[in-house]
Amino acid sequence: MTGDPAAEGSGAGGRPPRGPRPDGPRGGSAARAAVPRTGRPGPLWAVPGLLYFAFFAALPMVLVAYLSLTEWGGLGTPRFVGMENWSRLTADPLMRKAVGLSLLLTVLSWAVQTPISLLLGVWAAGRQRSRAVLSAIFFLPLLLSSAAIALIWRALLDPNFGPLAWLGPRLGLGSVDVLGGTNSAFLVIVFVSAWQFIPLHMLLYQGGARQIPPSLYQAAEIDGAGRLLAFWHITLPQLRHTVTTSSVLMVVGSLTYFDTVLIMTGGGPGTSTTIVPFLMYRAGFESWELGYASTIAFTLVLVATVVSLLMVRFTGFGNMRSTREGM
Amino acid sequence: MRTPRLGSVAGATALCLLAATACSGGGGGGGGDDQMHVWMYQDTLVVVQEGAVERFNEASETEAVIDEVPGDNYEERLRTAMGSSERPDVFFNWGGGSIEPYVEQDMLQPLDDMLADNPEFAESFIPSILEAGQVNGVQYGIPLRGTQPVILFYNETVFEEAGVEPPETWEDILGLVDTFKEEGVTPFALAGADPWTEQMWLQYLVDRIGGPEVFAEIVESKGAEGWDDPAVLEAAQMVRELVDSGAFGDSYASVSYTEGAASTLLSEGRAAMHLMGSWEYSTILDQDEEFAQENLGYVEFPPIEGGEGDPDNVVGNPTNFFSVTAETEHMDAALEFLTYTSEEEYVADMVANGEVPTTVNAEEAVADSPSPDFATFQYEMVRDAPHFQLSWDQALPPDVATPMVTEIESLFNGQSTPEQFVDALAAL
Amino acid sequence: MSVHTAERPTSQQRPGGRRPAALRWRAGRQRPNVLGWLGALVWLAIVGVPLYALLVATVQRSENYTAEGPLTPPSDPTLDNYVKAVENGVLGFVLNTAVVTVAVVAIVLVLAAMTGFAVVRSRTRWTSGVFRLFLLGLAIPSQAVIIPVYLIILELGLYDTLTAIVLPTAAFALPVCVLILVGSMRDISEELYEAMALDGAGSVRTFLQLVVPLSRSGLSTIGVYAALQAWNGFLFPLILTQSMESRVITMGLYEFQGEYRVDVPGLLTAVVLATVPLFIVYLFARRSLVQGMMGVGGK
Repeated sequence: MTGDPAAEGSGAGGRPPRGPRPDGPRGGSAARAAVPRTGRPGPLWAVPGLLYFAFFAALPMVLVAYLSLTEWGGLGTPRFVGMENWSRLTADPLMRKAVGLSLLLTVLSWAVQTPISLLLGVWAAGRQRSRAVLSAIFFLPLLLSSAAIALIWRALLDPNFGPLAWLGPRLGLGSVDVLGGTNSAFLVIVFVSAWQFIPLHMLLYQGGARQIPPSLYQAAEIDGAGRLLAFWHITLPQLRHTVTTSSVLMVVGSLTYFDTVLIMTGGGPGTSTTIVPFLMYRAGFESWELGYASTIAFTLVLVATVVSLLMVRFTGFGNMRSTREGM
Repeated sequence: MRTPRLGSVAGATALCLLAATACSGGGGGGGGDDQMHVWMYQDTLVVVQEGAVERFNEASETEAVIDEVPGDNYEERLRTAMGSSERPDVFFNWGGGSIEPYVEQDMLQPLDDMLADNPEFAESFIPSILEAGQVNGVQYGIPLRGTQPVILFYNETVFEEAGVEPPETWEDILGLVDTFKEEGVTPFALAGADPWTEQMWLQYLVDRIGGPEVFAEIVESKGAEGWDDPAVLEAAQMVRELVDSGAFGDSYASVSYTEGAASTLLSEGRAAMHLMGSWEYSTILDQDEEFAQENLGYVEFPPIEGGEGDPDNVVGNPTNFFSVTAETEHMDAALEFLTYTSEEEYVADMVANGEVPTTVNAEEAVADSPSPDFATFQYEMVRDAPHFQLSWDQALPPDVATPMVTEIESLFNGQSTPEQFVDALAAL
Repeated sequence: MSVHTAERPTSQQRPGGRRPAALRWRAGRQRPNVLGWLGALVWLAIVGVPLYALLVATVQRSENYTAEGPLTPPSDPTLDNYVKAVENGVLGFVLNTAVVTVAVVAIVLVLAAMTGFAVVRSRTRWTSGVFRLFLLGLAIPSQAVIIPVYLIILELGLYDTLTAIVLPTAAFALPVCVLILVGSMRDISEELYEAMALDGAGSVRTFLQLVVPLSRSGLSTIGVYAALQAWNGFLFPLILTQSMESRVITMGLYEFQGEYRVDVPGLLTAVVLATVPLFIVYLFARRSLVQGMMGVGGK
């Protein structure tokens, strides 16, 4: 199978890093020496999972790289064209704009979602029953798929047949077409992604906040620190790892944001919500330039990998959480 | 490795595979079965083809089924399926650039022999329309629908209330925009979320200003040349003027056609006019029968003073076509099925649904239409048109059409000026 | 990972754990957290109002929808929308989705458990390499590889089958699941392994009698995580299927957008029906679901 060489390559290749060894058991080294070898699984146990993953995730990565050097319309066989797609990519004004929009989306999403989910999460970490009840409601958007969320908001924001058509005139605004405005459509995307993902990040912060040792707060109380001071000097620093995890999730999620854009705006009006993943979809499955689309895709993978590696750098493997929320 | 481990690994792997294959039985899609799959663009007119399939199935041993593909994604879905082994046997298309990629890959069945063997069938279509089903001189498509010129529809009630007449010149249009704005009615419904509806305006304007030669050059170069013709710029400027004057209201950019929003705006009297393909009639008939029969007005797109194009020229889709995939297992049945498109019952169904058939005997048939006035109007419009321009996005290959449509959308949304619009198209 | 996590004993890692940390009780004694409550109520409105509008719309008659406004309870409530949604085949889509979900969960559970076991207990450089490969796999967005996945599915002749959705969906859920399970399996104490070993148990018995039972919470977390990915997946079904027979619920909703035309209540009813199964799970298994949603985040 094609996945094999890759797997062995990575096994024989670089040495495992220092630091948290994935195979390091809790027990001390003394205990380890005494343990008999029976009951330990051979490496073969990892083979099915590895092959499976390699075939559907790692092999496609290799294929993306290859396809980015070809011209392929989805029919017949790809034709090798060398770096043509890459030079086109660097000169494509749409790509430049899409990159700009993706970065803007990432920054705005982070700036909107982080403070809100941090504050809500810390608040929800409190033990009153009322807070638990409210949190249960807050989590509801998590049950909805991106498709459902996009449809709900599209329906709610429909300028002629949705609630806005009823609300607009009553507020003296006339007809309101937020999805039709070049700036407002983009802001709607930012808002909907916040609506969708804040509950998740709130959950992360809630979990993080509950793990802060109470003794820290007791000490602060003795010192007479108020709630704000305690938040600033205890809660925030203690949550720094959660902040990193959540931030990386947001960044990768925003970079790969797709479903909602497709359903709500189709990249429009014009190109005002055509972010990189959507541009790739359009180039691939509307213009049928799958080679060029692969070039965009490969760029996306590079960025996502760099972001993830940077994060691994900053926080170590253990903090590496799901990067897949945007899907 | 000791055997028990190997065994367990194998066992677990088998379990996974079992889990994986267990579901393939439950969900397998079309291709493996014995049915002949006919792909149709999903809309209210499919009833005509459903009737044909029913009659076909009674007579034939092969069972045909219609797969209705939602309109928004029709071309994407078709292309993904054509790349796979789950190809349709017979499929709906627009002819021209829309099937060219398949022709290049030899994926379509040439139909010249079939037409030669059935001269009666071949002669039943208006020759110029049948010709539109050719690519590089080879016949790949058989007309399956009525002709679909783009028509200016209007709401007669709204016009009466405002005390105005439908436009006969471009100046009339500009005047009506002001009138309806004062009345608090959106002058033109526009489904801006589906930019091919915006494209209709440009198609007519370019044709009226510069004549059909302008776009002919663009098609010939596959979109590479011809955009710098002054007619394109002038048309774009007129679009800009319309948009700026509020002709489409404030909230058109997220209005969708396929979801029916634009048509509803017209039938509810919230918009006064709607530039749309002739299928609008059946869409509105489906939504609001009374309105369609009593108060739906229609005129040709008005001439533009000083323009070179013949004011009788028409844009839209000459018709839609059925093509047959070359590798279908049901070739004979598929070819047989195609002949159903010129049958009397089929033509009658088309007429009953407000379509104007592309068969030569249509003249009498349209008289039997439930709305003979509309049918006759449409028939004469097409018959008398010196030129029938196929929709731009169908005439051009998808790698040009997709960005072009986006540029059109940007022009209508004010994201690009007419000059930028022309530059962007020239750069395609 | 960070210090505070490493020190935590495993038993109290549940977010909903009973015993209160002293913190908020004390804070409560100081004075009520007015700002906090205010913010929470604002967010409640942001989340609650659209959801309320969603539910109200589903019992509203389409003809009255625009006229009556989104927030007033309908004067003339009806279940017609639900009947219509069922007639439009929503249940068939739900069934397809259920098949996909079960298959994905099965694959993920088996493969992740085996891989996790190997990574945690088999002390070779090879397995740690495997682990790092999965970690890197976290960074692969499915959007980026959809084109080759499409190609692979075409080559396998699986286009437009439910299997075409299952295979890549499960593959892309694996990295997170392996990560969660490895965490959960590491918490099994060395002494228990030793006891098994002294008992003469081989790797299979150790796996089935010790590892699987003791990673139950991890397994249920990844089960839910994988189920959510499968249930709500969009891109794979969008590209890899097309026909009615293989339509899953997210695609069904997407297509309904065109079919329902301006019938907003009808469309929203389909959305609600698509969510009911998950909502039931939420009612009965909130904790696993919440943990599943957080991926590893909440372990």
